[in-house]
Amino acid sequence: MSVDVTSVDRDTLVRPIEAFSKKYLAALAVALGLIGIWLVFYYQQLRHGLIVTNLADWGSGGGVPWGLYIGAFIWWVGIAHGGIILSAAVRLLGMDTYQPVARLAELLTIAALTCAGLFILIHVGRPDRLVTSVIPAWPTRVQWSPLMWDVTVITAYFVLTATYLALTIRYDIHRLRDRLPSLLDPVYSVLMIGYSEREDEIVERMVWWIAFAIIIMAPLLLHGGVIPWLFALLPSMAGWAGGVQGPSFLSIALTSAVSGIIIIAAAFRYAYGWEELIPDAVFRGLSQWLGFFSLIFLWLQLQQVITGIFAAPTTLQHATEVKISTPLYWVAIGLVLLAMLYAFAASLRPDLFSVRAMVALSVGVLVGTLAEKVLFVVEGLQHAHFSLYDGVPGAYVPSATELSALLGTIGIVALFFLVVSKVIPVVELHAIEDDHEEVKP
Amino acid sequence: MSVDESPVDDEDRYRRLLDETEYDTELGLEMARDAQRVSAGELSEVEFYERYHDRLVEEFAADEREVDLPDPDDVEADDIETGGAGFLDRLGAALEGVDPDDEESRRSVMKKGAAAAGAMGIAGWGTAQNAAGAGEGDGATGGGDGEGTRWGMTINLNNCDGCLSCMVACSQEHNLSQGANWMYVFAFEDEGQGDETNFLPRTCQHCTDSPCTKVCPVGARHTREEDGLVLTDYDICIGCRYCEVSCPYGVNYFQWGEPDVPESEIDDDHQIDDRGKWVGSRPPEGVMGKCTFCVDRQDGQMGEEKIGTTACEEACTMDAIHFGDLNDPESPPNQHLREYREGQGNDTSEFPDRKEHTVSTFKLMEERGTEPNVRFIGNEPSPHAEQVEGPVTYEEMGLVDDRKEVLDDGAAATQGGESA
Repeated sequence: MSVDVTSVDRDTLVRPIEAFSKKYLAALAVALGLIGIWLVFYYQQLRHGLIVTNLADWGSGGGVPWGLYIGAFIWWVGIAHGGIILSAAVRLLGMDTYQPVARLAELLTIAALTCAGLFILIHVGRPDRLVTSVIPAWPTRVQWSPLMWDVTVITAYFVLTATYLALTIRYDIHRLRDRLPSLLDPVYSVLMIGYSEREDEIVERMVWWIAFAIIIMAPLLLHGGVIPWLFALLPSMAGWAGGVQGPSFLSIALTSAVSGIIIIAAAFRYAYGWEELIPDAVFRGLSQWLGFFSLIFLWLQLQQVITGIFAAPTTLQHATEVKISTPLYWVAIGLVLLAMLYAFAASLRPDLFSVRAMVALSVGVLVGTLAEKVLFVVEGLQHAHFSLYDGVPGAYVPSATELSALLGTIGIVALFFLVVSKVIPVVELHAIEDDHEEVKP
Repeated sequence: MSVDESPVDDEDRYRRLLDETEYDTELGLEMARDAQRVSAGELSEVEFYERYHDRLVEEFAADEREVDLPDPDDVEADDIETGGAGFLDRLGAALEGVDPDDEESRRSVMKKGAAAAGAMGIAGWGTAQNAAGAGEGDGATGGGDGEGTRWGMTINLNNCDGCLSCMVACSQEHNLSQGANWMYVFAFEDEGQGDETNFLPRTCQHCTDSPCTKVCPVGARHTREEDGLVLTDYDICIGCRYCEVSCPYGVNYFQWGEPDVPESEIDDDHQIDDRGKWVGSRPPEGVMGKCTFCVDRQDGQMGEEKIGTTACEEACTMDAIHFGDLNDPESPPNQHLREYREGQGNDTSEFPDRKEHTVSTFKLMEERGTEPNVRFIGNEPSPHAEQVEGPVTYEEMGLVDDRKEVLDDGAAATQGGESA
């Protein structure tokens, strides 16, 4: 299923940069408002400490020391990793259909990784030490601490994605320079330092290899590796330990990322009348991928539930029983299931498909994966193997401060897209002009 | 290294490398060959150790460096074969200890060491060096190697009556915030024991193979090399709480808000240890705290007579808590266990294969492989044991059991600057 959008002209492509509307201002205000709400709460946290959250000590303390902050961290990292995997796959496998959304996926990765990093910052008790403590300790601690692996790999990934994006943008800016606002010339001059048309071919090759590296790193090191290892390697918590976490996390990352891309692509299409540039076929394809990834997500949940209740050790059995008796867990599963059923049904009966419905279901999937991840963190901590404490399982409901951070990060991602779309084309020129050479590494 | 390199090439290469140093090339190569035999199981580590000990000391001492290799006659096979505390690690640590100012000799020793290590294919070489350098080895420290001091406890559950004096003493001595129960006494009922209440005082277990030090991203949680204490460097800790989620025992208490006792009221002597690190007394806001085995006492900051004691032990009138050096057979924890066993002799007249005593001991969740340095006399709580209210309640003693209540109050009243 290939879609030809090469008839779309360059004016359409740069429409977000040139157009300006009240709707844009409203969106900007909402994004800034969300960030503002979070900053007010975060100021309180900085002033009084993490006591303003509903976190507490596990054990005699009757609480959980990790909660929504860590759950949301995993969620954002998942969206980021999934996003770049999809974009890299488009390049590596030549899936031209999805070329119009490839850069959106890359931008989503940058924004989501930033939010993930923010969650680490606001999760720790001494954010002021993140640089002074982490950098000197890196050479000795990176051998041991999964958290240090995590920081390392996420940083490497951020650099890789930013490089990838910076390299591919140069081609477009060079050719669209006359349509870009002269006000931003200094920005473009920096982005274009040392550019010559001779680099295009080389950059294409480089980008291919970066995409290749990303595809290899993603399952081995990222959402199939270091992120699940933060939990999977700890035998003290029954709900965490085990090899299934790697694949399970990866499936959640891909499911969330496709949902995120569907929402963002639909938003741009709606705002700028991009029906030609991002046609229905792109959404149909994305929804099929979403259906497929949702199936894998559900399958891995089934694996965990069945092994957890059939003849599991006492604590794992208890943790699993609590998980499946938590209504929120079934809400999460239900939302993903619904998206899967719709995606598959629409594949069989194409007239059932609507972008609007798919966007709604994608929002549902994102709610579901976030809920699942927070429950995973919290319920994991509530069922320690050492269960003599009366305060185990502890109690946890996120506080307003914690929830505000979630809104704040959503605001940051929205703000990021609103700003970036005014500076660079968020759909690459290659999507509409088929004049680039195929890369043969 | 290319794949087609033969062992002979290897040996030539190491010979050239060793020749560049001022030390005995033949010794290096001989050790390398024998090390391969150790790997192949043809030679035991003990034999290897004994074979080279004297020559190594002689070789390195020739340069007037102090190389602290233990006498082979004093070393038990177990000592050599346990974990990271083996001969090679000690050699690594000894080489690490070479005077850093003497760059020339240090370099040549390191070079020789590296050549020998390369020849032997010892992957652990770098690890041993780092462990010694970072002072937070996972096993190669003053922990379970049977040498030096290893602070630990024997807690006799049969003697404990649940009076909670230990909790109060600990809280006062370390200026803990409400609910941060570094020492925590469980009262519990167990299956098949009717209404009988049992007690279990729980400190930090100061594990020799502690998961919390492994996972700490910044090395704030560490094992003190000189005596195996597991401590938190309050100056480095970023407050990520990874130690807390990795600890199977739930002994960590984060400082969620402002501490109840302000910094100005705590003497530096109680906070700074003999290495100059801030590891004692309650943690500052945003940092992790837990039982330190009264590190200030062990460093002599509270007087010579307090070394080898803890606040909880001192407060215990029931003779339940016994603190001391587990490596010293005459220390209170070892002595108490021995005497208690002697007092509970088994009747072996009819069944000579019975063990000599009827005393049951355990370590908490020993199967987790953490090698706790606290051992208990009495019966281990079963998975079905349930915590109950003891004869003395936490409230009666001015303590808080469920810290979350304090924290929730604090969260609700942050505007008023409440602390917890």
